[in-house]
Amino acid sequence: MNLRLKELIDEATRALSRLDAERLAELALSCEALNRGGEQPIECSLKPGEASQAASAMGVFSRVLGVTRANFEFIARLNRTEGERLEYRPGSERRWNPRWNGHGNN
Amino acid sequence: MGTINSAFQIMSGALEADQSALNVVANNVANANTTGYTREIPAWQENTPVEINGSSYGSGATETGSTSVRDRVLDQRLQQQQQSASSSSTRLAALNSMQALFPPDSGSSSSAAGDIGSDLTSFFDSFSSLANSGEPTNDALRQDVLSAASTLAGDISNAAAGLSSLQSSLDEEASGLVSQVNGLTGSIAQLNMEIQSSSPNGDAGTLEDQRQQDLSQLSQLIGVNQITTENNGLSVTTASGQLLVSEGSSFDLTTGLAGGLTRFFVGTTDVTQALAEGGGELGGYLTARDQDVPNAMSSLDQLAYDVSTQVNSLNNTGTDLAGDNGGAGDIFYQPAAVAGAAASMSVVMNDPDHIAAAGANAATGDNSNAVSMANLAGQGVVNGKTPSNYFAQFVSQLGSTVSEVQAESTAQAASVTQLQTQRDALSAVNLNDEASAMQQLESSYQAASQVFNILNTVMTSALNLGVETAVS
Repeated sequence: MNLRLKELIDEATRALSRLDAERLAELALSCEALNRGGEQPIECSLKPGEASQAASAMGVFSRVLGVTRANFEFIARLNRTEGERLEYRPGSERRWNPRWNGHGNN
Repeated sequence: MGTINSAFQIMSGALEADQSALNVVANNVANANTTGYTREIPAWQENTPVEINGSSYGSGATETGSTSVRDRVLDQRLQQQQQSASSSSTRLAALNSMQALFPPDSGSSSSAAGDIGSDLTSFFDSFSSLANSGEPTNDALRQDVLSAASTLAGDISNAAAGLSSLQSSLDEEASGLVSQVNGLTGSIAQLNMEIQSSSPNGDAGTLEDQRQQDLSQLSQLIGVNQITTENNGLSVTTASGQLLVSEGSSFDLTTGLAGGLTRFFVGTTDVTQALAEGGGELGGYLTARDQDVPNAMSSLDQLAYDVSTQVNSLNNTGTDLAGDNGGAGDIFYQPAAVAGAAASMSVVMNDPDHIAAAGANAATGDNSNAVSMANLAGQGVVNGKTPSNYFAQFVSQLGSTVSEVQAESTAQAASVTQLQTQRDALSAVNLNDEASAMQQLESSYQAASQVFNILNTVMTSALNLGVETAVS
């Protein structure tokens, strides 16, 4: 990977917007390597002005992360409160199993 | 016989039920690519058990129709997010057009077209050149002052004209949405009647899909609230509560002109401000038209008024080459009020001899008044700020607003995409099931949080390093 810091943040924002969990997981691993300064570092030596550009990109990423959290909490709450239509299947955390089975049409 | 008949009936009923269910499946598959179609699931009802030789046996199930898999709460949230997303993306486009009217300061001593920041520097520099030349009577240097004044006035009045033109086009776009809004509210009212007559107690299937489609389109145009009423009816109001649809009736948005701009009404109530705050494309257009453009115009007016007034005032206190002492005349057109000052800014002095470079009662070779006019560049004459700083702050503030709305627009668009994914998983014909869609949302959020936390640490370190470097 050869991304500058701002590009990396923009990429994370795009991936989060489309809920691309796999890409985000890749980026998380890359970021860990970056933070360790380890064997797979992302080229992130900051050029003059890059920190402020990256900070601006972080602002957007933060906003998208905020709405994602709000959406996640909303969907989770929705599932919790829809007891009539949905029922909890024990032994499978965060798995909500529709009472109707779809009969193969889903 | 009764036993065999009963067994046959159970079997026959089961086959019929299966066939009905298969029809529902076939309908789902056939509509897989129909926009707004909501997946249906067969509804089953257990038949009354039969008694055979004193024992009770189940008699199977009958398919009693189909029910659309929809979640009105999720639909409503999606529509609310669509309203916000449409509003911010529309406003962002207008802000980008506005920002293009104010190119960043080139930093050059010669003004580029439209570069008001450089124009201000050049204008006050021209007085410095005149004052410091040692020959304040020099005609070429005096001509340079008028030329720089003309460039400054031209760029400010052009920017004002650009803002007015932008405001007019936003107004036109906003009023053009009214017929679409009225068409959709009329359609929703019509669907209300059909739904209430055909399915007062249950899901109305494709009719409900159509109504949700119309609501979704309406949400992209204006901010609305929806209220479910009896017998599967639906009332729709503006975000501020003005009724647009009630049962089978719709209430049109109407328009009227006031001060050259369109006002919006429901009945006799002026809902313009409420629509601006409500969201949707119309909200975005109106926010840009009634808030962003006037704010920019107001700043530009203040700059034009104060620069013109201060320069004219000083010119009228000095002595010009014609010997006018204290009445050399105005360099710029003197606006009567702040409002409209930018649009009317122009140079009214034709003869450079009337530039009063000399001080009051001084000989024409004196330069003290030219020095005073050059010094305006460093004085807080525009709302307590120097002209250049005032303009730089205005441009910077505009840039911040654009960045803020850009971030908001990105976030809102992301939110719509995410909720659409959840809705599709639930109610569209899709192989993903609801649980996996939610898990995708959760996994993405968790991974993104991890990315954010690490990057935040990296950014904090980088910025701290920057501060330490600056201090050392």
